[in-house]
Amino acid sequence: MFLKKLAPATVVLVGSLGLGACATKGFVRDEIAVVSQRIDALEQRVAAGDTASRQALAEAQAATGQIQGNSQRLEQLNARVDQIEQRMREAPRRRPRN
Amino acid sequence: MIAVLAAVSLAAQSAGSGPVKAPAIPTDVIAPMPSEATTRVAEWVASSGDNRSAPYIIIDKTAAALFLFDRKGKAVGAVPVLIGAMPGDEATPGIGSKTLAEIGPAERTTPAGRYLARFGVAAGRQRVLWVDYATSVAIHTIPPGNAAEKRRERLLSPDVEDNRITFGCINVPRAFYGRSIAPLFRRKGGYVYILPDTKPLEAVFPRLLVQPFLAATAR
Repeated sequence: MFLKKLAPATVVLVGSLGLGACATKGFVRDEIAVVSQRIDALEQRVAAGDTASRQALAEAQAATGQIQGNSQRLEQLNARVDQIEQRMREAPRRRPRN
Repeated sequence: MIAVLAAVSLAAQSAGSGPVKAPAIPTDVIAPMPSEATTRVAEWVASSGDNRSAPYIIIDKTAAALFLFDRKGKAVGAVPVLIGAMPGDEATPGIGSKTLAEIGPAERTTPAGRYLARFGVAAGRQRVLWVDYATSVAIHTIPPGNAAEKRRERLLSPDVEDNRITFGCINVPRAFYGRSIAPLFRRKGGYVYILPDTKPLEAVFPRLLVQPFLAATAR
């Protein structure tokens, strides 16, 4: 008796669940499409950022090379200045004819 | 001008009466009187402005005397000086790079001429008033060392001939150097006119030739 009463309710429940499941798929597809778009955009941005960072790295490496070159030149000039200073110190000053 | 220079000579013996602060001349040094040549050059420099508003010194080698003037041509003081041992108005080429030992007796001249003098450092970290750096001629006090030369005694003696003792430099009394020359020449230097021993005055200072005409035109 109890089962006889429960059967229609079960049918209604299963039917509603089935219909609800169909609606959920569409919703999920829509949501996935949105997410996919966002992921694509993000991937593009990451790719662009990667290119920019590679360029920045190359520029930084070039700048480092330039700095090293400048440092070497500075050291050479420093040595020359030291030599000139030493020569000036050692150069005899003129003696007046008393 | 003669009166001015004579006044300087008298003022030199009474310390503190000069136009510049503390132009004191040591009392043990007799201030020399200006010669005719000194007076001529002093008049020319003052009237023509040849000193370009700088202090100047006239050195009369025949009188072994130095006459100091301020930038306006006002006589400040006069003192006897020691000069090059040999009479002569030229300097041997290349003498500036020789050591004292390498300078021969005939080369010990004080060259005549007009020089722009400035204070500068010389060997031994001494500061001197360079008259002609190329020939190593400077004005300074009596250098320490050879006591046998009796430079101080020579400076004090009234005899002019014994003032010829240096290798070419001009030695002045210490007090006069420190109190009169140094304050005037310290900042921008000045001019030094060294009168000749043997050459005509006009040969050393050619502008003296035109000075009478310029003076006449000015009147």
